[in-house]
Amino acid sequence: ANTLRLYLTCIRNTLEAAMCLQNFPCQEVERHNKPEVELKTSPELLLNPVLICRNEAEKCLIETSINSLRISLKVKQTDELENILTKKFLRFLSMRAEAFQVLRRKPVQGYDISFLITNYHCEEMQKQKLIDFIVQFMEDIDKEISELKLSVNTRGRLVATEFLKQFI
Amino acid sequence: MATIAVHQFAQCITCHAWSPDHSMIAFCPNNNEVHIHKLVEDKWERIHVLQKHDQIVSGIDWSIRSNRIVTVSHDRNSYVWNKEGPDWMPTLVILRLNRAALCVQWSPRENKFAVGSGAKTVCICYYEQENNWWVSKLIRKRHDSSVTSVAWHPNNILLATTSTDGKCRVFSTFIKGVDTRDSGTSSAGDTKFGEQIVQLDLSFCWAFGVKWSPSGNALAYVGHNSMIYFVDEVGPAPSAQTVAFRDLPLRDVAIILIYIDIYITHVRLQVLFVSERMVIGVGFDCNPMVFAADERGLWCFLRFLGERKRSPSGAKYGSQFSEAFGKLYGQSKHGISNDVGEASRSRGGIHENCINCIVPVKKEGESTNTRFSTSGLDGKVVTWDLENQEDLSEYL
Repeated sequence: ANTLRLYLTCIRNTLEAAMCLQNFPCQEVERHNKPEVELKTSPELLLNPVLICRNEAEKCLIETSINSLRISLKVKQTDELENILTKKFLRFLSMRAEAFQVLRRKPVQGYDISFLITNYHCEEMQKQKLIDFIVQFMEDIDKEISELKLSVNTRGRLVATEFLKQFI
Repeated sequence: MATIAVHQFAQCITCHAWSPDHSMIAFCPNNNEVHIHKLVEDKWERIHVLQKHDQIVSGIDWSIRSNRIVTVSHDRNSYVWNKEGPDWMPTLVILRLNRAALCVQWSPRENKFAVGSGAKTVCICYYEQENNWWVSKLIRKRHDSSVTSVAWHPNNILLATTSTDGKCRVFSTFIKGVDTRDSGTSSAGDTKFGEQIVQLDLSFCWAFGVKWSPSGNALAYVGHNSMIYFVDEVGPAPSAQTVAFRDLPLRDVAIILIYIDIYITHVRLQVLFVSERMVIGVGFDCNPMVFAADERGLWCFLRFLGERKRSPSGAKYGSQFSEAFGKLYGQSKHGISNDVGEASRSRGGIHENCINCIVPVKKEGESTNTRFSTSGLDGKVVTWDLENQEDLSEYL
């Protein structure tokens, strides 16, 4: 629990520095405005990506550019059941990415879930609230996965008990 | 308190400019229009809407003596608006740009204006009487990336530009027929159009917000790496000082004149020279920062201008995702911070979001200027005055 606090504080501080985004029209195509972190066509507009690792299993990659920011998370998965639960749960959320606005529909290769924050999000919403949301999300994911695992195990036990009662 | 007036004009303001008598303000509310508001009996009323651009208007400048507004937009166009009767009529500007225009500034004598663009070029436009339009000459070489900001030197010939390749360059924009070869400005008059005088490679990150000091001897610009650069004696042997600060990067620097004479440099960007020895920077901290030079000429960060308050840590939130979801929707813009262990700091009291633009506001008949206005992504325009700040008065 101690390392969780430090991990989240580090991510929060990095996000505060990285979320300095501004409206920037595309240099490659006229009249277009694209998130530069996704396109990566102009290397001078990209900043160095920052990788924050809590341990080998949990890490967070923050890539910034002049008008957009991409945060990719790898969530702790200790056994096979957690693996399946995480995948299904995060896929459920990613499919509804439009409702979340800052969520990316597909996670970046090697990670479980990704966020894409553009300057338009920073104009509509407050930067501090966005950072709070991301950090809260990370805390809540762990809790949700544990709860899901617990409920799966409980349900399995109940079902097995009921089923085997008929043989007593 | 350093603020005189705060007004919420729109949800988000890209840039703003004041009329010569400061009774009207023109701004872009983050769309393709320019709104002009007038102060009528202590209330701001919208009197004009200039609608000619197709995309967001990225730069507005209002010339003082000729009362013309120039607007540039991401749709590669620019218009010069003249007041004819009750309406503002646009005049076409042949910019010859193939990418978005990012910034604009009238020259001190208002016979030219400079436009920085995403096409890695700078357009210098002057008026052609025969066809009633503005033609441009392009500075094509030298820039490796988008030109984010331009600033005219008081002599009407030199132009400083900053770009996302991290460099600040000074060019000569002498145009035959528009500029006269003055015997007084011999060094500037010898150079041809588009010749690069000096290139400053101090920042390894994007550069924004360049401004000249009122006398034209010194230059200030900011880098995205939270540094502000002061360059003295711009010329063959410039001497530079960098000030690194702890907080978030700046976006604009402003110059307020102390001399009333004809060299009025308009401020569009995030750095402002209040006098030869004081500079105001604004940016992602939502609070203007004051930088000052002491007698030896060494610049340092003095303080923030607005008060900073810290929000109290809010109640612990439940762990259900629907609640987190609701948090993003319902409380993203207002409300308590619901962080578990840490209070999220609210930076700056007045502006709630990044400050984009800082412009000097000159009072009638005053020789020194201590006022400036800032506008930001929160849609507010705040006017500040430095007169009552005793610790800053020695620098004015």
